[in-house]
Amino acid sequence: MSVTNLNAFEIISFSKGFDLSGMFIVKEWRNEARFTSDKSASTIISKLEDVAKALNLRVRKKDNGVVKMQGRKEGRNGVLQFDIEIFEVTTSYHIIEMKQTSGDSLEYRQLLEEGIRPALKDIVLAWHGDE
Amino acid sequence: MGCASSKQFKRPPGYEEPAVLAAQTTFTVNEVEALRELYNKMSYSIIKDGLIHKEEFQLALFRNSRKANLFADRVFDLFDLKRNGVIEFGEFVRSLSVFHPKAPKSEKTAFAFKLYDLRGTGYIEKEELREMVLALLDESDLHLSECAVEAIVDNTFSQADSNGDGRIDPEEWEEFVKANPASLRNMDITMAFPSFVMHSEAHD
Repeated sequence: MSVTNLNAFEIISFSKGFDLSGMFIVKEWRNEARFTSDKSASTIISKLEDVAKALNLRVRKKDNGVVKMQGRKEGRNGVLQFDIEIFEVTTSYHIIEMKQTSGDSLEYRQLLEEGIRPALKDIVLAWHGDE
Repeated sequence: MGCASSKQFKRPPGYEEPAVLAAQTTFTVNEVEALRELYNKMSYSIIKDGLIHKEEFQLALFRNSRKANLFADRVFDLFDLKRNGVIEFGEFVRSLSVFHPKAPKSEKTAFAFKLYDLRGTGYIEKEELREMVLALLDESDLHLSECAVEAIVDNTFSQADSNGDGRIDPEEWEEFVKANPASLRNMDITMAFPSFVMHSEAHD
């Protein structure tokens, strides 16, 4: 699976200084999460697949650096779905963005905090928004 | 003394009526009123004068009033249209309007150009691009070699600086953004905005 290489302006656009959503949404309510990694794209993807298997999520890899994940059960508001997009800064630095696309937001945040974040510890340099 | 006079609530300087702002920006009246609630919260958070000071802006963005950030500084400076060191309500709404999903691409493009023109020369110079990339890497705790940073900066700059004069002018920037639309990803508050308005209306 190929990942998008970021140009300098795209890299800059990830700054939290530009993330004005901080004014609007309390951090705990966000259904978007972002982290940096110093692992290769293939390592990151493998890890995501492992985590999906452990959490009983279905995985679908798209061609443009997006991995789609889906819960197997209907939740409060349908099936949980989210996209994970991998951006390449260099071959050994990546920015990974996770965005919920369907399902109940509370369930998603629970999955993120209790399931996904702990499981990704090995590949995460830092989560955007954590101080 | 004689007749009852209505107590006039004195608005801070720079206040503009929601109807006026809605007519002149991409926001609806409802959205401007929601923004007014947000503005009031921010502008009384530290210095209780109904104006947004830099620390109050930083507090809202980072949950930390002392957090310095090159890009947040640029945003603050651009929002401060009158250059008086504070963001007034009218300035707040008008500037945020550019980030609305319905705002014209040309407005977002022009705003981003000014953001990145750090020294206000009317051009984006290579040193400015390099400074910004380094600031982002520093903020994200990503350590790249000088070589790697140069490669990224050179690559992008040569792509954008089509007439090769060593700086990116507004026309070159427009072309570059057309070819690389993700370069404007920070110019949209699509996800946050709708829920903000919904949560705000819930308080009425």
